[in-house]
Amino acid sequence: MDIKISNVSKSFEKKEVIKDITFTIPSGEICCLLGPSGSGKTTLIRLMIGAIAADTGHIQLANIKMPNLKMLKKIGYMPQNDALYDDLSAESNLRFFGGLYQLSKSKLEQRVKEVLELVDLTEHRKKLIRNFSGGMKKRLSLAASILHQPDVLFLDEPTVGIDPVLRRTIWDQFQEIKKSGTTIIVSTHVMDEVTECDKAALIYNGSLIEYDSVEKLLKKTNTGRVEELFLMASSRGGVVK
Amino acid sequence: MIHLAKRVILQTLNDKRSVMMIFIAPLFALTLIYFLLGDSDYTATVGINKNAMPAPLVTELKAQDLKVIYVSNDDFQHPKQYLKDHLDVDAIFTISENASVNIIMYEPSKKSAKALSEIQKALSSLNPSAKINMSYVYGAQDNSTFESLGYVFLGLFAFLLVFIISGMALVRERSGGTLERLMMTPIKRGEVILGYTLGYGVFAIIQAILIVFYSFYVLNLHSIGNIGWIVVAMVLLAITAVSFGAMISVFSTSELQVVQLIPFTIIPQVFFSGLIPLDLIPYHLGNLCYLMPVFYGVEAIKRVMVYGGGFLQIWGYLFGLIGYTFILYILNTLALKKFRKL
Ligand SMILES: Nc1ncnc2c1ncn2[C@@H]1O[C@H](COP(=O)(O)OP(=O)(O)O)[C@@H](O)[C@H]1O
Ligand SMILES: [Mg+2]
Repeated sequence: MDIKISNVSKSFEKKEVIKDITFTIPSGEICCLLGPSGSGKTTLIRLMIGAIAADTGHIQLANIKMPNLKMLKKIGYMPQNDALYDDLSAESNLRFFGGLYQLSKSKLEQRVKEVLELVDLTEHRKKLIRNFSGGMKKRLSLAASILHQPDVLFLDEPTVGIDPVLRRTIWDQFQEIKKSGTTIIVSTHVMDEVTECDKAALIYNGSLIEYDSVEKLLKKTNTGRVEELFLMASSRGGVVK
Repeated sequence: MIHLAKRVILQTLNDKRSVMMIFIAPLFALTLIYFLLGDSDYTATVGINKNAMPAPLVTELKAQDLKVIYVSNDDFQHPKQYLKDHLDVDAIFTISENASVNIIMYEPSKKSAKALSEIQKALSSLNPSAKINMSYVYGAQDNSTFESLGYVFLGLFAFLLVFIISGMALVRERSGGTLERLMMTPIKRGEVILGYTLGYGVFAIIQAILIVFYSFYVLNLHSIGNIGWIVVAMVLLAITAVSFGAMISVFSTSELQVVQLIPFTIIPQVFFSGLIPLDLIPYHLGNLCYLMPVFYGVEAIKRVMVYGGGFLQIWGYLFGLIGYTFILYILNTLALKKFRKL
């Protein structure tokens, strides 16, 4: 399921937030959307899944134009905020979201059990979300987005506010999910995380400033750190402005 | 849709405050109203000038449910000042030389009205030709305000609490991002609204039964018609309230904004609920009642409870509610396009 983004622009209240972005994410890879806070990563993800419509340009998933109701079954989405129901237990949250994908009852129970194990929340499954810590919510939110075994998984800053040890295990989980053939698009503003990914799209002020395999991107730098690429872009931007 | 309804039920049950608000708050408020507007055995106090009043009238006054006190000649010169100084006296009653009756009261209030009606009784028993016999086709003169307006409160509570709870829940779903997540699953837009309506519908049914039983068996409200129809009207009204709450949540991005919209959403409903007789509202503004869902519910309840009507007398109002819900359902489903085009 390639994701093709063609000449997409989006404005909020006359301010252009996404500026004419074009790139293609190949199937089965982890692609990272890297950019400082406010650069437009969340907006780009919401455009890709069809939560908002582009002003110009279009987005295709496996050659099907988005938004598309049928494709929603094949998409998993983990929003930037946790988007869980505070008054429900971890289990009930998962059962609810899983139920919306019309999984059979036995399949649903089996998946709930599997994903809870994956994110290491089995012993907290009966707890209400309002008693969860930030990190636990993040993990449950991830669990909810992979319940239905999506072909494409969109993760919006999944590791923000998570301690380094847990961050490591979460990235290991992403690698596991990738092995099962899922394409993962993950946004982050933590530059170090780029090394976990196959490809990286560098977003700065709503523009795509670089898009390549991580290996090649790092070769373009002197120090081997992606920050450089942003500093270069900002000095370029400074001249234009 | 069933999943959503189940979730709404589970979620509400896990939040004790919502449960209290749906089940306990209306009973609490009705009890309060029962005591505030119930039968009062208040005895009005009337001041008279013994020397200037015919003895038989004094006797008659005393025979009524009145406390009669004698006021000095001096005070009679300035009755208004006297009433200001003596707040426990409700009225000053005098008869001048030409036999015209003067009654001066502190302020238009229920206490003054009580004094007035007792004085009238005394006067008419002296002069039988002035006696007025009053009777009503429906209801009785000695009905307390609670008894004669009870149907309004049944309707109002059935509407208000479900409206607030469902509106808040939907706004929270929006601001918390769960709505966007929900809309990114293959659920249909119409199913979201239906699921919500179904989930809260279950609470509406239990709430209506609870309110009706409490009002009729504990607070001794009387209904001429079958109370089953009252439950039906209340449930339909509460279901309309869910759609109404959903509509309001479209215009609000936070729970605070729902509260800020109350002057536009709830207050007009209260005014047009029948608390104020609609025929008395000037400039035909009373006709605005047809825009208020509470009006349909309250009118149906009134027709059953006070006039003893059945389905044939209230079907117009019931279908009014169903129509209202249907229109709101269409609008809400369209409004969800904001979150997903399809
Ligand atoms: N719904 C919206 N309405 C108005 N402005 C928005 C909206 N969503 C995002 N923005 C603006 O778009 C810009 C990019 O936001 P976002 O995509 O959230 O960035 P990021 O996820 O990279 O931090 C910001 O300036 C933000 O204020
Ligand atoms: Mg963001």
